[in-house]
Amino acid sequence: MTLSMVHWPASWSRQQRSSATMMTAVVVLCVLLWLLALPLQQVSNPIGNNAQYFAEGARVTVQLTVISGVAGVLLGVLAALGKTSRFVPLRWVASLYIWVIRGTPLLVQVLFVFFALPSLIPVLQLTDFSSACVALALNVGAYNAEAIRSGLLAVPKGQVEAARSLGLSRWFTFVDITFPQAFKIALPPLVNNIVALLKDSSLAYAIGVVELTNIGNRIQAATFQPLPILATTATIYLVLTTVLTQISNAVERRFDVEGKLQ
Amino acid sequence: MNGTTQPLITVDKVNKRFGTHHVLRDVSTHFNAGEVAVIVGASGSGKSTLLRTLNRLETHDSGRIVVDGIEVNDDQKQLDALRAEVGMVFQQFNLFPHLTVTENVMLAPRRVRKMKRDEAHHCAMELLDRVGLKAHAHKHPFALSGGQQQRVAIARALAMKPRVMLFDEPTSALDPEMVKEVLDVMKQLAKSGMTMLVVTHEMGFAREVGDRILFFDQGRIACDAPPEKFFGAQDNPRIRAFLGQIVH
Repeated sequence: MTLSMVHWPASWSRQQRSSATMMTAVVVLCVLLWLLALPLQQVSNPIGNNAQYFAEGARVTVQLTVISGVAGVLLGVLAALGKTSRFVPLRWVASLYIWVIRGTPLLVQVLFVFFALPSLIPVLQLTDFSSACVALALNVGAYNAEAIRSGLLAVPKGQVEAARSLGLSRWFTFVDITFPQAFKIALPPLVNNIVALLKDSSLAYAIGVVELTNIGNRIQAATFQPLPILATTATIYLVLTTVLTQISNAVERRFDVEGKLQ
Repeated sequence: MNGTTQPLITVDKVNKRFGTHHVLRDVSTHFNAGEVAVIVGASGSGKSTLLRTLNRLETHDSGRIVVDGIEVNDDQKQLDALRAEVGMVFQQFNLFPHLTVTENVMLAPRRVRKMKRDEAHHCAMELLDRVGLKAHAHKHPFALSGGQQQRVAIARALAMKPRVMLFDEPTSALDPEMVKEVLDVMKQLAKSGMTMLVVTHEMGFAREVGDRILFFDQGRIACDAPPEKFFGAQDNPRIRAFLGQIVH
């Protein structure tokens, strides 16, 4: 689903096309979330009369994904740096985090943050939405960490040597040389994680967040018409992941200086 | 030459081991400003390692190295300052693949010398013109040939206006027809008075451009002589054997 890249004028540069695709996809996503109720209203009942609820659910799902996705990428970078650090305790902390998160079910993590964390640390009595964001961010962060770490390790040693031999500090070597190259390598697995995150956000349902899956199930329970309701729910997820993939493809193209992607 | 008696680089009794392999054995020498020193020897004889200890891409186990009055040790601030004064060109070019040719050349002056973008761009174009690549300034490294990439790497190192340039087998990874274009740039650089330390197997270059030839053998400097003496009647059997293998 990368059709939109093809339709830009041939005279545009790779960067311009990539920016155009990204902008378009973001605009499409916003319009979609804002006006999702309109097309759904055209469908026969029980979809038409519940269109507003579906639209509201989709908005919450996207909010969950964007907030925990951004936080998850930042967490992933930090954890990847921790795990590749020369400072042993830091490596240990990062490994522990990744080990625990990857070794336990996401559903348990969601329930844990909402129900168990407040009894452990009373200050952390979060709302259901915030709890879901924290749990999802922690979860996707651990997977992102491994993706970014593999990217960091794949940057040739000569790159760092060249940067350091020019007098660049450790910080600029990382910011200008290592990280951009590592990020490019890590991008496909990162996109995988974010798409998985969008779908996994449905587990927020377990603590009562009124997101898309929760809405679908509520309407289904009230109308006893599982087929149209669940089909609609699934279709909205599919549309959302498709738009997300468009954005990430455009990001990938932006980094593709060698023109390997066709 | 700047007329001072102080050598630009002093190497004093430097030792280096990789595990049980003793790569540098009590190496002592010095390099003066304006001098072109060519370092030759069989692979594994320690010549690249010596070059890499000078800007601390390798640490040395014992002995002292002083470059331009700066002691080479673990002091990070001092090390960054030192590296800014010492340009290096690698066998594998090591250009930054995600940046254009111009950006490759501009990066270090902007970050380290805090040069303004316009000024850095101006300098970069001047240098790219000097190495004959102005027309390729907007390209990414992957679109250039090996020889062109190496010339960009030289321009990138020169952009820091270094006091000395280290060349670590700059033509060894090149196709034969591209060796000349890189050597020509290096000759031009030598003529301009740049202090250069060159590890190479190009004996023609060594003979023509070098002020001194240092022959490395098993971690020691076995011979340090002007080219006419080195390539002349050579009484050292190991050097004769080496030259016999290299010069066909």
